[in-house]
Amino acid sequence: MSATRPPDPNGRASWVDWLERRINLSEIFSFLTHFGFVITPVDTSRPVREVLREVAETPVPKYASGPRVLGLLTAILFALEAVTGVLLAYYYKPTPEAAFESTRTIVRDLPAGWFLHQMHAWGAWLLAAVVVIRLLRLFWDGLYRAPREVLWWTAVAMVWLVLQLDFTGRLLTWDAHSYWATVRGMEVVFALPIAGPILAFLLGGRVVNDDVLIRFYALHVMVLPTFYAACVYFTFATLRRVGLSPAPEGRPEATTTFRDHLYTMLMLTVGLFGVLVTLATVLPFRFLSAADPYVTPGGVRPPWYMLAPYATLQWLPVPAWL
Amino acid sequence: MTATRSAPAIEHAGGGRRGALAPGLLPLPALASLAAGLLLLPALALAQPGNPNPDASAPTAVSPGSGRCGVCHPTERVQFEKSQHAEEGVRCTSCHGGNDRSLEVASAHGAGFRGRPARKDVPALCASCHSSEARMRPYNLPVDQHALYQTSGHGRLLARGDTRVAVCSDCHGAHDILPPKDPASRTFTLNIPRTCGACHGDSTLMKQRGKPDVFRLYMGSVHARELYDRGNLRAPTCVSCHGVHGAAPPALGDVDKVCGQCHTAERRYFMAGGHYRARSGDDGPECASCHEAHTVQAAQPERLAGSCAQCHAKDAKTLALGRRIWTDYHSAADEVEKAAALTARADAVPLQTDDYRARIEEARTYLREALPAAHAVQEDVVAGFTTRARSMGHEVQSEIYGKLGHLRQRKFVLILFWFYLLLTLLVLKRYRDQGARKGSPDRP
Repeated sequence: MSATRPPDPNGRASWVDWLERRINLSEIFSFLTHFGFVITPVDTSRPVREVLREVAETPVPKYASGPRVLGLLTAILFALEAVTGVLLAYYYKPTPEAAFESTRTIVRDLPAGWFLHQMHAWGAWLLAAVVVIRLLRLFWDGLYRAPREVLWWTAVAMVWLVLQLDFTGRLLTWDAHSYWATVRGMEVVFALPIAGPILAFLLGGRVVNDDVLIRFYALHVMVLPTFYAACVYFTFATLRRVGLSPAPEGRPEATTTFRDHLYTMLMLTVGLFGVLVTLATVLPFRFLSAADPYVTPGGVRPPWYMLAPYATLQWLPVPAWL
Repeated sequence: MTATRSAPAIEHAGGGRRGALAPGLLPLPALASLAAGLLLLPALALAQPGNPNPDASAPTAVSPGSGRCGVCHPTERVQFEKSQHAEEGVRCTSCHGGNDRSLEVASAHGAGFRGRPARKDVPALCASCHSSEARMRPYNLPVDQHALYQTSGHGRLLARGDTRVAVCSDCHGAHDILPPKDPASRTFTLNIPRTCGACHGDSTLMKQRGKPDVFRLYMGSVHARELYDRGNLRAPTCVSCHGVHGAAPPALGDVDKVCGQCHTAERRYFMAGGHYRARSGDDGPECASCHEAHTVQAAQPERLAGSCAQCHAKDAKTLALGRRIWTDYHSAADEVEKAAALTARADAVPLQTDDYRARIEEARTYLREALPAAHAVQEDVVAGFTTRARSMGHEVQSEIYGKLGHLRQRKFVLILFWFYLLLTLLVLKRYRDQGARKGSPDRP
């Protein structure tokens, strides 16, 4: 059917037409957009040029600006983390003997390895900040009310997943500070009444050792990102049903075309990339000596999101059986 | 019967098992038996011998080493049973004579009984076995101790009839002799200063003899710090410098030979230096002139001026030499340590620093050699090492600073990066705005 279609009205024969005659591009595009990229349904029986033109002209509310941008950032930052993470995983070795050495090889000896490492670390930092701010914003604007409950739950799950990703990823470098931050963090978790023993069982004990490292690695690169990606999908899928968050009161809903929206998103990504590169270069994360389970460096503390329970636990008289 | 049964309890009462449970930790039955043992102590004299002991491994009043002497001499028996002599089959009668099979004082202390040997007879008594090649061969022990002892300060005074000098038993113990490798032995390395100090740390006795309290002096030395604070059993004790059985102060010209046994490099440079050449006979500077004899101290800048001034008080140029060598050494050491600190900083970046570490170790080796070289008291000899160490430190520092500076350049590249980034954003914005105009509904 598609092979008999007339060529492009502009008379240009490009690789798109060449491919269009051999494979149904619209179908592939439809499959891709199923993950929430495009709000309109795609007619897969039409040529991809027409589909794209139509999609590009579809009016969409302006959601790459204002507080709505937070949701977009969670997806963009996650994509960045995924890309840098996969590249880091090419050289990383998740064993206590090799973890620090391999991370140091990435950071020190590989060309631009330090850049990947710092981008991944700062990206994680920003991602954690963004998901938390987004959750606060949703709460503040009351966006957990019907029919947006699924969005709210997903946002909560995303915060939880990002913190877990941060906590599991932090250990992987196996340097003195990351190791001891994990040990302190685990002490907080193990002190919880029910979750503590369950977690200790899942991790094979209360000691941070090679078992914990490989399990954290598996969680960090496979399990948690999968769940996060699912959350991103749920967010888009729900948005298509319930719509974007309403515009501020008294202001009319501004609309733009999908094409403009794509450009705005691209600019947002470029800007974000610039911010990350600046942070990675100006304020690189320091990299101490390899972790030694028998030597605690000074000033170790759990990650920031665990400081409150950590301080509470230090202050509370914890019963001996805990 | 009751009395013999209580014999094991006496072991506790006599302090026979040192390091056993503290009284507060003893269980009640043990305390009870202890009390019973103490009460029955006088009754021991009436105890009937020959009763089989239920616990064969515990020492008893009647044992192969002490025979029946221990019935009346329990304290000595307890000491003796644990000694090396008891293990090797030496008996009470070997030294004291008499008959250890008898329980009657008259016959036990009868024919051939020597009683407590007089102090002047002790060396000869010990030598009766320890100078016998045939007896000592199985233990691979030397047999020259008695001969050596007679050449020692102790031995010579004893020969002159002065019995207030150390004899064998003063250092080795009488009944409780242990081999020198046993940490409980008085002749174990860690215990030697205290063993010698029993007399040489007795200030009253030493004052009478007109000698200093060298025990206290030694305990303030670098040697004692090495031995006790760092637990280095190869650190010198009294016997390392004075000899063991032939203990005597080294002759005036021999001090450098004695110290040179361990400090070989220092002696080599010392002998090549001006101090050694300036010596005439036994007179002249030697190790103790600067480092003291028993209070041996490492060279210190504050001490340096004083020790040089002992001889060079009027010669200001020579007086300053020590300080110049010292300053030279320390400026080089500072450079090397700065390089090491910078390497740690580079490690935290992280930068590859393995090569720097190797070079810093090499520089430290030169510094280590510079200290013995200072004993030649020649600036150029010391500078041969310090210059190399200093230049290696400089090299490492400048290379690391170069790399760190390169890292700083990254930040300048950021400016260029932002220029292109903003340009990209502008281009994207232009495309967007163009598209918006084209895609607007009023487009024809």
